[in-house]
Amino acid sequence: MEEPVTPQRPAILTLKALHKDFGAFTAVDSIDLTIAEGEFFTIVGPSGSGKTTLIRMMAGMETPTSGDILLRHSRINDVPANKRPTCMVFQSLALFPHRSVGENIEFAMKIRGVEPPTRKARAVELLRQLRLPESYYAKSVQKCSGGERQRVALARALAYNPEILFFDEPLSAIDYKLRKTLEKELKDIHRETRKTFVYITHSLEEAMVMSDRIGVMRAGKLVQVGTPNEIYSSPRSKFVSEFMGDVNVIAVRNTGNGSLLAPSLEAKFTAPPGAPQIESGHLVIRPEYVRFLGKADEATNSLSGRLYNEYALGSRIQYQVRVGDQVFVIEKLRQQAYHGRLDDQVLIGWDSQHSILVGEE
Amino acid sequence: MISLGGSMADKDGRRAAIPLLLLLAVGFAVPLIAVTAFSFMPPRTFSLLQAPTLENYETIIFGTSYISFLWSVVLAVATVVLLALICYPVAYGLVHVFGRWSTLLTLLFTIPLFVSENIRLYGWVLFFIKNGVLLGTMKSLFGIEMESILFTLGAILLGMVYVYLPFMLFPMTLSVAMVPNDTREAARDLGASRWQVFREVELPLSMPGILIGCLLTFVLAVGAIAEAKILGGQRIIPITHDIEIAFTYSQNWPLGAALAVLLMLLVGVLVISALRRFDLDQILRRG
Amino acid sequence: MFAFPERVRHGLITVWTLAVLVFVFLPGATILLASLTASRYFTFPIPKWGFEWWYKTFSSFEVRQLLSTSLSIAAVVMVIAVAIGFFAALAFARYDWRGRSLYQKIVLLPIFFPQTVLGLAMLLWFNAIGLELSWKTAVFAHLVWIVPVVTLVMAIQVYSFDPALEEAAFDLGASRWQVLREVTLPVLFPGIFSGALFAFLLSWGNFPLSLFTTGSDTTVPEYLYAKMVAGYTPGVPVLGTVSTIGAALILLGGYALILIRGRKRELAIEATGKRELAAEAAG
Repeated sequence: MEEPVTPQRPAILTLKALHKDFGAFTAVDSIDLTIAEGEFFTIVGPSGSGKTTLIRMMAGMETPTSGDILLRHSRINDVPANKRPTCMVFQSLALFPHRSVGENIEFAMKIRGVEPPTRKARAVELLRQLRLPESYYAKSVQKCSGGERQRVALARALAYNPEILFFDEPLSAIDYKLRKTLEKELKDIHRETRKTFVYITHSLEEAMVMSDRIGVMRAGKLVQVGTPNEIYSSPRSKFVSEFMGDVNVIAVRNTGNGSLLAPSLEAKFTAPPGAPQIESGHLVIRPEYVRFLGKADEATNSLSGRLYNEYALGSRIQYQVRVGDQVFVIEKLRQQAYHGRLDDQVLIGWDSQHSILVGEE
Repeated sequence: MISLGGSMADKDGRRAAIPLLLLLAVGFAVPLIAVTAFSFMPPRTFSLLQAPTLENYETIIFGTSYISFLWSVVLAVATVVLLALICYPVAYGLVHVFGRWSTLLTLLFTIPLFVSENIRLYGWVLFFIKNGVLLGTMKSLFGIEMESILFTLGAILLGMVYVYLPFMLFPMTLSVAMVPNDTREAARDLGASRWQVFREVELPLSMPGILIGCLLTFVLAVGAIAEAKILGGQRIIPITHDIEIAFTYSQNWPLGAALAVLLMLLVGVLVISALRRFDLDQILRRG
Repeated sequence: MFAFPERVRHGLITVWTLAVLVFVFLPGATILLASLTASRYFTFPIPKWGFEWWYKTFSSFEVRQLLSTSLSIAAVVMVIAVAIGFFAALAFARYDWRGRSLYQKIVLLPIFFPQTVLGLAMLLWFNAIGLELSWKTAVFAHLVWIVPVVTLVMAIQVYSFDPALEEAAFDLGASRWQVLREVTLPVLFPGIFSGALFAFLLSWGNFPLSLFTTGSDTTVPEYLYAKMVAGYTPGVPVLGTVSTIGAALILLGGYALILIRGRKRELAIEATGKRELAAEAAG
């Protein structure tokens, strides 16, 4: 299905039937995955999906119940975390409070017996690379701001040149603006260092910004792996399509000849071209593909409803239209706002090539 | 020893707990079992290798020890009540009023803990004794001559309140600190008067600490001996004194052991039933 | 009381607290004054002031013996209590293991227990197994009560210890021993220090346990007690004052030390950093 693993980008980390049970609870359910060298791979999933356990197994903090982890071609299941050429950035950042910024960054080198002048040079180099002032070398980590601490944590992880960097939701506790800035910076660092980044988060939006490929995880399994584009425009299940926030999902039955019946709405729709041949499932239409119509035949599929709500979302406006029991979500750019009033009777519709048919789940 | 991997915590936790558990098994559990065993030995003997008998318990039940018991309990309860009233305002002050000074004040209140009770109580003796600080001052400054309050029930109570103050103060302070400011302000905001905020929010939420303080104070006070001896003369004999006499003058270890067992039962029942209700993680973590 | 405006209420609380504080230190002050009388008996107001009894007390061999006994017990108790208590505190607050909540309650039992009964129980037990009483048995008795207290004091700090710190150090390549040395111990040091302080002071001032388990050795509190019930000796207030002031100094000094150490460390780190950067810039 996926694997942009090429001779230029060979596999660096391979997971084979990796499985982890905690007593009777299965956290990671027999996962197969290959991560290419140098790629930015993000695992996305809701809390409890097992993504933290998965990344901890990859980093060596947790031992698998069964299955294999291979670094290039060698099995590293039994290699403890301190011997793996990998490094993790923790959710709490875990900066050593009793040490200065410089001492934190130099920690891995100090442990390995690197001489102070060499360590110091590398630390200063990293401070520059992470856009921190050189004077921060002597600063106590307790006095650093949230964004600065993130950068120190990253510098510390990069210090001894690990091959893979793991990130355990490091940005989840920061405010929006800072997060957006750090996401971009992280992407830049990835490009500059050319290392493999394996990142986990619960926000698909965040993953889309930074990743080369994304793996969506649910209840211990990887339900879809692909590039951000693939995940966004070709979700393979209701779960994945709903992961991106507001989306229109209609339960439908296949009545043959490319025609779908939606029992709840008592309406018939044209299936998208190339849709899978399934008995029943869901028709998924993204909010930006649904539009207001003047006449029913302006689009392949149309519905009549009542304008129920309007939300301003920065550069976009979101409309909610009530059709029977269901609420449809439409998003338009501010310049193309719909001019009408709440409670108006409206006609909405979409072209079938902009919809996706997915299975029951 | 360091848990580096979530599922290893179980093993590490058990291993880390062993030294202390061993110490307590040998130093706490076994001696208490020995005492219990001794209580069933014939009176005035010193060996554990004899046929058990209930004589000691009979002696206690049909004797006058219950008076001593009663006194111990009454004194302890009075101490707890007085201390609860005395300490709560101080605890409240330490958390909400004194700001930067709280740490220093807490340290000052801690110091007495490290000084032997005897010395502290002796200070009171010198304070209240005839020609002591209080009476001497009264006499020389005001020309008033008064009877010393030493060797009265009041003096004993004063001594007990004095000695066990830190044990009531600290748990109370801990749990007053745990009452979230937001909750108090919210109650105020909803229209509650100051008294109502206290009654409906602060008091109930700091109750765990208050109860722990009361329990700790009671348990320690019921086992007190120095106050009655030093400040009370022989006016009142608490149960601990009976136990000591049995062990020393009367040379009747089994009887002393039996009295100790009864005291232990009283304390044990209270402590175990109270501790069962408390989630220590919650209390100590937030403090 | 609640009807008063906040300032008045806070004022009342402050006055009350100060009154309680005075109450707490009154006996100590009395003893201090008593130690400064030159006369054989204590009367107030003090007729004659002098340090004679201080000289007499400290030149007494017996007193020096007492101080050494109390000191030895307290020192040994401190070392062992911190060693056992450190791991006990980790088990109490750090690791999430089955049986932890039962363990926590067991640890508390010796604290919620009358010390006289514990002392007597130990006396019985030592006798039953034929162990001779000495300052060493007193050490053991002290430990049974003091280690749980020290555990509690350290556990309070351990609760706020982020386990990710150890994992991060391990992940960065440290061996388990290095993790302990570079991260765990330094970060937990204030708690360990407080625990050591508590252990020393609680042992130094303990009476009930010492009374029953020291045998022929005598500690300062035991000696004072014996003298007290026998009648007034001026040496008692002297020794008592020494004991109290010693405890106060050690406690306040200990905490001052922690504060100063933290501040000095901060300043040293910044100074070193600045110096090195300046040196680099210079050439």
